[in-house]
Amino acid sequence: MSTTKVDPTLNAKVVPVSTHLEEAEEDNRMFGFIVFLLSESVIFLSFFVGYIVYKTNATDWLPAGFEGLEVREPFINTIVLVSSSFVIYFAERFLQKENLWGFRIFWLLTMAMGSFFLYGQAVEWMGLPFGFKDGVFGGTFYLLTGFHGLHVLTGVLLQGIMLGRSFIPNNYAEGEYGVAATSLFWHFVDVIWIVLFLLIYVWR
Amino acid sequence: MTNQTGNQEQRTRDLKRVFNWRRVLGLSVLTAANLAISYWMGQQAYGWLPPQASSESVLVDKLFSFMTAVGTFIFIGVTGTLLYSMIYQRAAKYDPTDGPPIEGNTKLEIIWTAVPIMLIIWIGTVSFQTYDQMSLLEPFAPAVMKTAGTLPGDQKVAVPGDLEPTEREMPIEVRSRQWSWEFYYPEADVSSTELHIPVDKRARFKLTSEDVIHGFYVPAFRVKQDIIPGREINFSFTPIREGRYRLRDSQYSGTYFASNQTNVVVESEDNYQKWLANAAQTPLSPAENVASESFDKAAEGSISLGWATVRPAPAPMVNYTSSEKDTYE
Amino acid sequence: MSNAVETRPPKTPPELTQQPAPGAPDNWRRFFSFSTDHKVIGIQYIVTAFVFFLFGGLLAMVMRGELITPEADLVDRTVYNGLFTMHGTIMLFMWTFPMLNGLANYIVPLQIGARDMAFPRLNAAAFWMVPVFGVILITSFFIPGGPSQSGWWAYPPVSLQNPTGNLINGQALWLVAVALSGVSSIMGAVNIVTTIFRMRAPGMGWFRMPAFCWTVLSAQLIQLIGLPALTAGAVMLLLDLTVGTSFFDPARGGDPVLYQHFFWFYSHPAVYVIVLPIFGVFSEIFPVYSRKPLFGYKVVVVSSLLITLFSLVVWVHHMFASGTPGWMRMLFMFSTMAISIPTGIKVFAWVATVWGGKIRLTSAMLFALGGLTTFLFAGITGIMLASTPFDIHVNNTYFVVGHFHYVINGAVVMGFYAAIYHWFPKMTGRMYYEGLGKLHFALTFIGINLIFLPMHPLGLMGMPRRVASYDPEFAFYNVIASLGGFLLGVSTLPFILNMLSSWVRGEEAGDNPWRAIGLEWLVSSPPPHENFEEIPIVVSPPYGYGSDEPLVSNEPAGHPVGNPEGKVGQGAIA
Ligand code: HEA
Ligand code: HEA
Ligand code: CUA
Ligand SMILES: [Cu+2]
Repeated sequence: MSTTKVDPTLNAKVVPVSTHLEEAEEDNRMFGFIVFLLSESVIFLSFFVGYIVYKTNATDWLPAGFEGLEVREPFINTIVLVSSSFVIYFAERFLQKENLWGFRIFWLLTMAMGSFFLYGQAVEWMGLPFGFKDGVFGGTFYLLTGFHGLHVLTGVLLQGIMLGRSFIPNNYAEGEYGVAATSLFWHFVDVIWIVLFLLIYVWR
Repeated sequence: MTNQTGNQEQRTRDLKRVFNWRRVLGLSVLTAANLAISYWMGQQAYGWLPPQASSESVLVDKLFSFMTAVGTFIFIGVTGTLLYSMIYQRAAKYDPTDGPPIEGNTKLEIIWTAVPIMLIIWIGTVSFQTYDQMSLLEPFAPAVMKTAGTLPGDQKVAVPGDLEPTEREMPIEVRSRQWSWEFYYPEADVSSTELHIPVDKRARFKLTSEDVIHGFYVPAFRVKQDIIPGREINFSFTPIREGRYRLRDSQYSGTYFASNQTNVVVESEDNYQKWLANAAQTPLSPAENVASESFDKAAEGSISLGWATVRPAPAPMVNYTSSEKDTYE
Repeated sequence: MSNAVETRPPKTPPELTQQPAPGAPDNWRRFFSFSTDHKVIGIQYIVTAFVFFLFGGLLAMVMRGELITPEADLVDRTVYNGLFTMHGTIMLFMWTFPMLNGLANYIVPLQIGARDMAFPRLNAAAFWMVPVFGVILITSFFIPGGPSQSGWWAYPPVSLQNPTGNLINGQALWLVAVALSGVSSIMGAVNIVTTIFRMRAPGMGWFRMPAFCWTVLSAQLIQLIGLPALTAGAVMLLLDLTVGTSFFDPARGGDPVLYQHFFWFYSHPAVYVIVLPIFGVFSEIFPVYSRKPLFGYKVVVVSSLLITLFSLVVWVHHMFASGTPGWMRMLFMFSTMAISIPTGIKVFAWVATVWGGKIRLTSAMLFALGGLTTFLFAGITGIMLASTPFDIHVNNTYFVVGHFHYVINGAVVMGFYAAIYHWFPKMTGRMYYEGLGKLHFALTFIGINLIFLPMHPLGLMGMPRRVASYDPEFAFYNVIASLGGFLLGVSTLPFILNMLSSWVRGEEAGDNPWRAIGLEWLVSSPPPHENFEEIPIVVSPPYGYGSDEPLVSNEPAGHPVGNPEGKVGQGAIA
């Protein structure tokens, strides 16, 4: 029979094998989600590259009669969004310590901060003197902020779902993939915003 | 059954076989034959191309001939080996045994990594030199700019065929549209749908498009350049052979793309000046234009089984017009 | 049949082989259901893709009919333009990508010793998007204004012109379909990458993984990096087309060349997405039918990753004649040529694998060898195209069309056929008819050379691509090409006949008719639900032909493994 000895060094490298498909899927979800996020970041990267190319090559970049974007309010918005990343971190910590109410409060706070950001964004859009048809500046501005805003909105909605599910008894007893993924997504959206802010508002 | 040491022996035996003298001799003969065939193919390659009507075409054809020879050598070498195996190393009908368990050979692997590296450095260098000599656009400067003030290619002195590199005339303006070509000669205020250029003289162009991307392409000159709307692109080459050639749109530009062709006439300086003067006397008139004529016919509703199309620009008003049809050079 | 029927292991009970999942329909109907079994999904992908191949091929037949005479007489010019646009789009997005996902789906979990893909439901969802965007794309033939007519690159401004002025036009539907195809591909890629990283059987370290899985991994990584860039460009184009932004509209300050960069940043690597798994197929097939290990296994698999890397930095070679500055042309000329190094390593390794073997020219082997030679030819014309000064002459001529059909129709489609013949017994439990397979090969090989070889002289003479009419000097070669094209169309008939009849009434195949080494050959044909009763423990590298090491240390399937390599002659011997 060919049943020879198994190389003892192998076991160290062995990937965990789950016997049931459902279990395997649980294990793999976070990995898959990270792969997905890495891939998605390339979309943003492409938009950024497009923005840089337009900005460096365009002859008249800003729409006629427009002096440049207001930085103050967007900066406040930025502070709120970036701090929410820390808040969501604490929410997760509470969940790990199985303090459900702590989790819910901080989680809700994150949602509030995200919504504040969206509100601020909407106010800014309303007040702008140019539209998305006004040259490539108008186009890229609304494309970038809009596409990012869509992600913030998705994040807030996901957070809502996770919050709701925390009321199902024992649902989060052993940690929860959904919570971890949502919070990772939130950090991702944050980092993208920082780059976006630097490119659009800070870079003159 | 072979065991570890058995494999080892087998391997050394294989190596010895590689250095067998008869093998070396046989291989050299085969290589020489391959070299000869490859050289011959390289010479044939010139015959697959249109006439060499510009100094650029001389350079490009030489490059192509060189690459054909190298390519033939690789192709024959690899497929020859495969064919040999396919013919002489077949398993007998009921032979279930395996071949020798050779898993690799570091020396061989290093060789066949190094050889392609050297080959592409070679091909790359020759290509680079060729491109540099052609100087269609400047090799190391962004020559395609919105406000191009200088003429790329000017500083180059050693452009073959560029007999008077110091002489600078105003470039011919190439105006491309859906779907027609118009050539405007600023110093004579002449426009024409047929391109006339004097032989043995660097011809300079300013390429513009009014609607979509078109491509300026004359196979006999081996030159091509996309024309980007919203930009002015400076382009130059040197015709060296008198005759009548085809100029084609090379960048797909919509419905009547295929018919967007015209003729180029390369003629002596005298004839060129005569033609220019003659054209300057002729009043403007609408040119012959396949696209707008067929569009009008289709619009009359006689026969059209097609889908909606962009309306062609009206036939250009020119001093000189010629048939757009192929003239069978 | 063969001489050693007795040695065949006892048959797995039918409950195990027929049932794709407990409670699922147990017959052909399962292929029309939302099954989450990777094997069912794999076959769903393959069959769907092949139907689209026939459709795309039918369009090509009409094109060749038009091109057999110089005048634009068979179809209107607009129709011709729609035909080649849809031909290219369908062939790439609805034939090659789904086909590759099908192969990867079926084979990768079996080869790495997994029970299924990492995310079975995501897998099914990704598949079912294929018919959806397929229907969207084909619907565009029937709307006013017809399908997209801007070529498969959809370069603006032509793609923005929209002569009907309707919001729902061929170009918009095209963009929606391509976007959905991208979403589906990303879903597939996340799934496959996760599966390969996380679900390999114990003992299967990276250098014990079969070459096919390596190439699939390399290809899917390209999808993950490249597709988002195309998506970005497509979104901007769609906005320009529908809501009136001006990203790519030069008349309003936009930059059409930027679109070209977005497009080729993905679409160049996409050609390696297509060809890499075919390299994997070659690496699987040559050892089996030469009965020798894959020569230089480690170098071969690592060179796949190198190709992935290089492929991301060569895209400008499609834009040598565009508005690119000279330094960019030279830079990308060199980077493009560098691709021939890792590719050459593979080619030479395959030749060395075959060399000195005990070769059996089965249909699979013939297609693999044929594919390798056409690939070699195309690679050499590819290097010529990479040389900027020469490319400036032949860019957008039939030389390019010849180059890429030699790879894509020569190497890739022949590679698909090789893969199908090789794994057909595993997928269906039945043998195909060898004679029909060989006829299929002969017709295909002759057809391909007859149609695509004459395209090279045509391009050298200066015949542009995408033309419905041409100057009479090009007529001679076009007639040959058209005849070759029709032959190529006919060549699919013996294949279809072979597959259908063998699936229904072919000879029983047994678990390992080729006496191949690999986890997929240890389980029954077709493999049972969840593939392995017990996950195998891998103890040696793949392709151990000629050496006596066992591949696994336990009994993976529902029968004894006595003999993992299947040493004793069994099944068909060609
Ligand atoms: C699967 C598909 C596939 C593959 C694998 C390739 C492989 C290659 N292609 Fe091709 N290509 C296409 C599909 C593919 N291509 C398509 C679809 C288009 C056109 C799209 C369109 O316009 O619609 C295109 C167009 C295209 C162009 C643009 C032409 C133009 O539009 O003007 C260029 C230019 O550089 C190019 C180059 C190459 C090169 C260098 C390789 C290399 O990867 C080849 C490497 C292989 C070898 C070289 C052979 C093996 C190597 C050796 C034996 C070693 C020794 C050899 C040497 C040292 C030379 N291709
Ligand atoms: C995987 C990719 C792939 C494949 C497999 C093919 C396969 C074929 N291609 Fe294609 N081709 C492209 C990708 C591909 N092509 C691309 C990307 C372009 C560029 C498009 C552009 O410029 O935008 C192109 C362009 C292109 C052109 C150039 C058009 C032009 O520039 O004007 C031509 C011309 O001959 C051509 C021909 C063919 C032929 C004859 C086949 C043959 O293999 C087809 C074989 C035939 C069949 C398989 C049909 C069999 C059908 C029957 C027997 C009928 C029965 C079936 C039913 C009733 C459903 N192709
Ligand atoms: Cu008939 Cu073109
Ligand atoms: Cu490419």
